[in-house]
Amino acid sequence: MEQLLSLWQGSGLYNITGGQFVMIAVCLGLLYLAIVKGFEPLLLVPIGFGGLLANIPEAGLAMSAVEQALHFAKPEVLAGIANAVGSNTLDPYELSRIVHEAKPSAYQAAQLIAQDAGYSNGMLYSFYSVAIASGIAPLVIFMGVGAMTDFGPLLANPKTLFLGAAAQFGIFATVIGAVGLSAMGIMDFSIEQAAAIGIIGGADGPTSIYVASMLAPELLGAIAVASYSYMALVPLIQPPIMRALTTPEERKIEMVQLRTVSKTEKIVFPLVLLVLVALLLPDAAPLLGMFCFGNLMKESGVVERLSDTAQNALINITTIFLGLSVGSKLMAEKFLALETLGILGLGIVAFGIGTGAGVLMAKLLNKVSKHPVNPLIGSAGVSAVPMAARVSNKLGLEYNPHNFLLMHAMGPNVAGVIGSAVAAGVMIKYLGG
Amino acid sequence: MQSSELISEGINLMLYGMGFVFVFLTLLVFATGFMSSIVMKYAKPVPVVPKNKPAPASAAAASNNDELVAVLTAAVHKYRAGQ
Repeated sequence: MEQLLSLWQGSGLYNITGGQFVMIAVCLGLLYLAIVKGFEPLLLVPIGFGGLLANIPEAGLAMSAVEQALHFAKPEVLAGIANAVGSNTLDPYELSRIVHEAKPSAYQAAQLIAQDAGYSNGMLYSFYSVAIASGIAPLVIFMGVGAMTDFGPLLANPKTLFLGAAAQFGIFATVIGAVGLSAMGIMDFSIEQAAAIGIIGGADGPTSIYVASMLAPELLGAIAVASYSYMALVPLIQPPIMRALTTPEERKIEMVQLRTVSKTEKIVFPLVLLVLVALLLPDAAPLLGMFCFGNLMKESGVVERLSDTAQNALINITTIFLGLSVGSKLMAEKFLALETLGILGLGIVAFGIGTGAGVLMAKLLNKVSKHPVNPLIGSAGVSAVPMAARVSNKLGLEYNPHNFLLMHAMGPNVAGVIGSAVAAGVMIKYLGG
Repeated sequence: MQSSELISEGINLMLYGMGFVFVFLTLLVFATGFMSSIVMKYAKPVPVVPKNKPAPASAAAASNNDELVAVLTAAVHKYRAGQ
């Protein structure tokens, strides 16, 4: 009878908390969106499944050794951990807070004591430390994105870089929104957290994850989910804004055909970009460095095998681990907070403002440039390659069936990737010390 | 609380960030334009060479004029030396 009781007390059903139940429902919702509705399935399937795993009661897959030790709260282990972080409380909740605020050296000591007592890091926690906490996974993905990017349309019309710059306004406007919410006492975001939320407006998954892992790892789950969900929603979010800001005549503008770009220019461009990053903003060097490296592998044409690996096998492997690691941040106690709603709300505002700023900038370019510029391509400045460019193309065709804007919109689209990486570098520089 | 401080920090970040993004991308526009003009001026035959076989390219050029032949030959040599 006693064994039966302990089996029951060790079961998931006995231990499940309300929060875990809600999070499992949320993760099943994400899986539904990915599988049935086709929303960014490559990311939402691993993220949703990772979230399911992270919320299995008692398994502690997303917990570090010390978190597990605190969860099971054996008095002698608690005393050891308290000693390691220089505290004398034995209350697991209080101790958990102290451990998370402890210096890395004290945290390591607590971690070792927990490991001595027989606790080990959960699987997802290990994935997270290797893939995201180290910054590696977003950077490897950025290299793959670089290897898939064609800078031809951008080189043919470099002025579209201004559209990529303007669309980053969404990022910074959202930072103001987030600190505004804190100032009014509705939510409580620090400036670092506000910056990490704003970067959702860059519509660039790896960049958002990279910045969040540097500035606000505690919000990473919500930021990554918001970022990838909104990227999938680009075809719904952008068109109303684009219609509202342009006249039908402007939407019919045909653009002159792009000149052909030589292979040499395509090879030299990533090097020019890298030199500029090196000279002006070394903090963006990890992101843009990997991006340029991937692009150079593709354009040089002499390392087909490496380029092929970067844009297929490697990016796929990394996506699996990145997704599961993001999922590990969907634990109930970290995700179910008012802040998450704030992040989802601010994220969509960031997206909208970025789109609007890009369109307005394109209207300005149309006024001052000697070649006509269709304002619809401005919205593609928010990156979200190539979805945003396709939206511009589709809307253009609606008003003028002979107007193919796709190639013209790819210019601002890749400019947006560069722009959001630069914005990320500025934020890390400004706030990271 | 220091909420006004937080807001001013946010506004600083916006001005600094937006300013920097624009400066950076403006410089990139100029750098790209400059690079393209140099490449188009000096290395025009290069895109032709990898696509066509070098031999027919120079053979076709032979019928045009000597200067073009000289440029193409130099480019071919450079291309081969680079391999």
